Amino acid sequence: MKIFGPNELLEDVFQKDLCIGCGACTYLCPYFRSYKGKTAMLFPCNLAEGRCWAYCPKVDVDLDELAKRFFGRPYDDDPLGFHRVVKISKAGRQAASGTFQAGGTVSALMSFALNKGYISAAVLTDREGLLPVPRLALNTADVLRCSCSKYTASPTLSAFNQAIKEGYKRIGVVATPCQILAIAQMQSNPMGDEDFIDPVGLSVGLFCTWGLDFRAFEAFISERMDVEKITKVDIPPPPAEIMEVYTDNGKREIPLDEIRKLVPNACSYCIDMTAEFSDISVGVLEGRPDMNTIVVRTERGENIVDEAQKEGFLILDDIPKENLEHLIWAAGNKKKKAFMKAKQEALLSTTEQGERYYLRVRPETVEEIIA
Amino acid sequence: MSYLMDNTEGTQYLLMGNEAIARGALEAGVRIASGYPGTPSSDIIESLAEIGKDMNIYVEWSTNEKVAMEVAAAGSFSGLRSLCVMKQNGVNVASDFLFHLAGSGTRAGMVLVPCDDPGALSSATEGESRFFARLVEIPLLEPGDFQEAKDITKWAFELSEEIRNLVMLRSVTRMSHASGNVKFGKLPRDGAHAGFHCDGFILDPMEGPMMSTPVGYKHAQQQEKMKKAREIFEDCPFNTYDGPEKPEFLIITSSACNLYSREAISILGVEDRVGLLKLATTWPLPPKLLKGYLSKTDKILIVEEVLPFLEENVKILVAEMAPEIGIKTFYGKNDGVIPMVGELNPDLVVGALAQILGIDYKAIPDGYMNKAEGAGISETPSRELTFCPGCPHRASFWSIHNALQLDGRKGFVCGDIGCYSLAMLPCGFSTLKTLHAMGSGGGIASGFGKLGQFGFDQPVLAVCGDSTFFHAEIPALINAAHHNSDFTLVVLDNSGTAMTGFQPHPGLKVDALGDDVTSVDIAEICRAMGARVEIRDPFDLEETQKTLNQLIQDKGGLKVLILRQICALSPEKKARKKYEMTIDEEKCLGENCGCNKVCTRIFRCPGLVWDKDKNVTKIDDVLCTGCGVCADICPAGAIERKEAA
Repeated sequence: MKIFGPNELLEDVFQKDLCIGCGACTYLCPYFRSYKGKTAMLFPCNLAEGRCWAYCPKVDVDLDELAKRFFGRPYDDDPLGFHRVVKISKAGRQAASGTFQAGGTVSALMSFALNKGYISAAVLTDREGLLPVPRLALNTADVLRCSCSKYTASPTLSAFNQAIKEGYKRIGVVATPCQILAIAQMQSNPMGDEDFIDPVGLSVGLFCTWGLDFRAFEAFISERMDVEKITKVDIPPPPAEIMEVYTDNGKREIPLDEIRKLVPNACSYCIDMTAEFSDISVGVLEGRPDMNTIVVRTERGENIVDEAQKEGFLILDDIPKENLEHLIWAAGNKKKKAFMKAKQEALLSTTEQGERYYLRVRPETVEEIIA
Repeated sequence: MSYLMDNTEGTQYLLMGNEAIARGALEAGVRIASGYPGTPSSDIIESLAEIGKDMNIYVEWSTNEKVAMEVAAAGSFSGLRSLCVMKQNGVNVASDFLFHLAGSGTRAGMVLVPCDDPGALSSATEGESRFFARLVEIPLLEPGDFQEAKDITKWAFELSEEIRNLVMLRSVTRMSHASGNVKFGKLPRDGAHAGFHCDGFILDPMEGPMMSTPVGYKHAQQQEKMKKAREIFEDCPFNTYDGPEKPEFLIITSSACNLYSREAISILGVEDRVGLLKLATTWPLPPKLLKGYLSKTDKILIVEEVLPFLEENVKILVAEMAPEIGIKTFYGKNDGVIPMVGELNPDLVVGALAQILGIDYKAIPDGYMNKAEGAGISETPSRELTFCPGCPHRASFWSIHNALQLDGRKGFVCGDIGCYSLAMLPCGFSTLKTLHAMGSGGGIASGFGKLGQFGFDQPVLAVCGDSTFFHAEIPALINAAHHNSDFTLVVLDNSGTAMTGFQPHPGLKVDALGDDVTSVDIAEICRAMGARVEIRDPFDLEETQKTLNQLIQDKGGLKVLILRQICALSPEKKARKKYEMTIDEEKCLGENCGCNKVCTRIFRCPGLVWDKDKNVTKIDDVLCTGCGVCADICPAGAIERKEAA
């Protein structure tokens, strides 16, 4: 596939308001940086080909190529993406306890992978006030500090790029679907570097229906309470339809309809709810706040989950049928809506070289998804 | 001992025009000299400051030009001859007091020397000071060569005492900064004693209070003074004529244009056809003298720089004299023979003269410019305006630019006059978006900072230098503080009036004469206004940018960031490297993805050079000042710094 550069990135992503601020283009060079949820280009760069463009999950993502590379087949209409198994899970007794969004599965997996040396460091997302802050975790204590969902778009991959620069190998990463898509592209060595080594030791994707624009969210919240005093933010599973914001003085509930107005434009194009190119994807489980839903996709993911279970870091169980059906429905719904939108706006392509699109995927797949 | 103190009468020195003016003031027995630095004027006060102690002269770099003139006026009021020096823009600053002083009159001789900058070689406007003389009704003198620069300066003090009012002596860049032979006169003996007589009758010019009121009386008196000056000018020995008794054509000129005109006449060999009337007394014009020369011919070319001051004033006289001298044909600026913008030079005057006289002469042969440009492109590297190697401003604007880009709300910087005005250009990452008078950055920012109620949501920054802070920024800041205007002022504190040659300012512990003095703390002044004040080293890029982003986010009204780092060219720093810089060529990413020559393409310190044969950056050891900043902008760690021995 033809690779383009930063000028095309500006044109295709920034100027179309499609940047989600994932951080994939930052810290690769002196030009892209992230600040308060937004990615900024500091100075012009005129290179014809750049990693910034190649890694961006919002431009020319070749879903068929990625699916072939990771799962040995082209992209298809499975709402959950390729997977080996879907289960429910929570942190086991051997895992350190902490404050978790749900079952603590992600923290347990990352701690386990770190302790076992499967990964040398984990790229996670911490929080300062409401601001999501990318962190490189080196031990369980670091991992626990980064637990819980942040709900805002985060430049987590800036920490990933910095970790590579600092020489880390086998890096673990916990990321949203857009970030996982960027990482999948990084793993594919799009620039064709001769001495390329896959930098990822374990990728854990987080279910995501949308994120919030940090700046809009901060402005929204600071009109209502002291941002500095927020301890946790939660969106309980449906049918609650509220966001809960916890401070030392208790809990404040905000209707989700108000919150949805703060979702960035880029999320409306997202086809992926379950981070389809991760090793393992994790989300909440409706009706069971102590448990997670876990989707195991790769052999590496499967091995680590099995081992974590054996060593008491993870407790697994079968997913109830209605939960699985709802998950498939929700993921399929998101995918369908986004594909329809992208198709309508002529952002989908298949074979043309030289033209630039949002997604590359076989037309028959698109028809199956939309049908 | 400075040669300016040589008391051997008749001895000759090659002096710069500004030194000649200083020597003229010495021969006049000047006791008070004040000014504010500004090219091309600064050398006059500097020359006097150097010998101030030996010659018992009080010399100061004042906070600004208005204060400088007030300080000098106190000398005159107290019976001491006083000199006040500034560049043309300074007269604008001083003009409020100038009006009042011209109305009140002076006592001991007082001379104002503005040095104009036709072509704005080192200015942000081409404004000129001659019109002020007419506006405030004071005499205007313009030396036509270097000897005159000295002699007319001395004479200006006598004239001032004769009419008891301020006299303006105007120089221009090519008069101030070019050099010529000057024959010295005697230096007077020091018999200075100061005292202010102010208890006399209210209208007594020598014993009463000094003021411009009662206006009716004083204004009329001022015009009497001008009448007297005009009479004196009729016989002024510095108004000279060269040429045939009955010239076919008359050039009237003054100042450096005298030299260009003489050269033009000589080049064209028209000495027998063209007369040259060089006026030293250009306001008020002496009518009788002019009438004599205007009667000799019907064609007149006026050669002067920038606006047609002389031209229009001569035309008024000619209109009045028309019944006696007849109708004249004028050449000059209004008909476009002489350009209305920029400096003149002998070529331009030759061109004008040849055109009028119908002589086939081309000052610049056809095709010459093309040839010159061709040669330039092939032989010389392209050079653009840029900050010096190791200049703190480059680092400061790097951080300011990055902070604004990260912020992402289309923030901008308001600026004023200083080396940092270059931040309009790529060398300052095109960060500066308004550029006006000294202190105007803060004033304009103060206005922008109040537009929130109209939906204005761009972050506003202003920059000023440390000397500018004292000169004109403080009232703007007080305005902003008082009205709770939301902006961030960045004081680019490089510890001196760097652009004009490191003259001291109120923030320093030393004054023009080298005495230890009280330094005034910029941070404390700002804190006293209630501003949030931070101080950083601009060479610490990360900390500076972080602080800027915090300040920009802070909605709390006036914020001040003082970026303190001594100018790379300062006498304290010059030629001493803090770091030895080297390039690890293996690490240098060059044009590859991940860098794309950020150091030589964007940062562009002249000490960094792109080696196109090797595709790596190299350090120019001659130019590099060892500030170490580029090590922090290199994404690959290829630029290495180690403490210099």
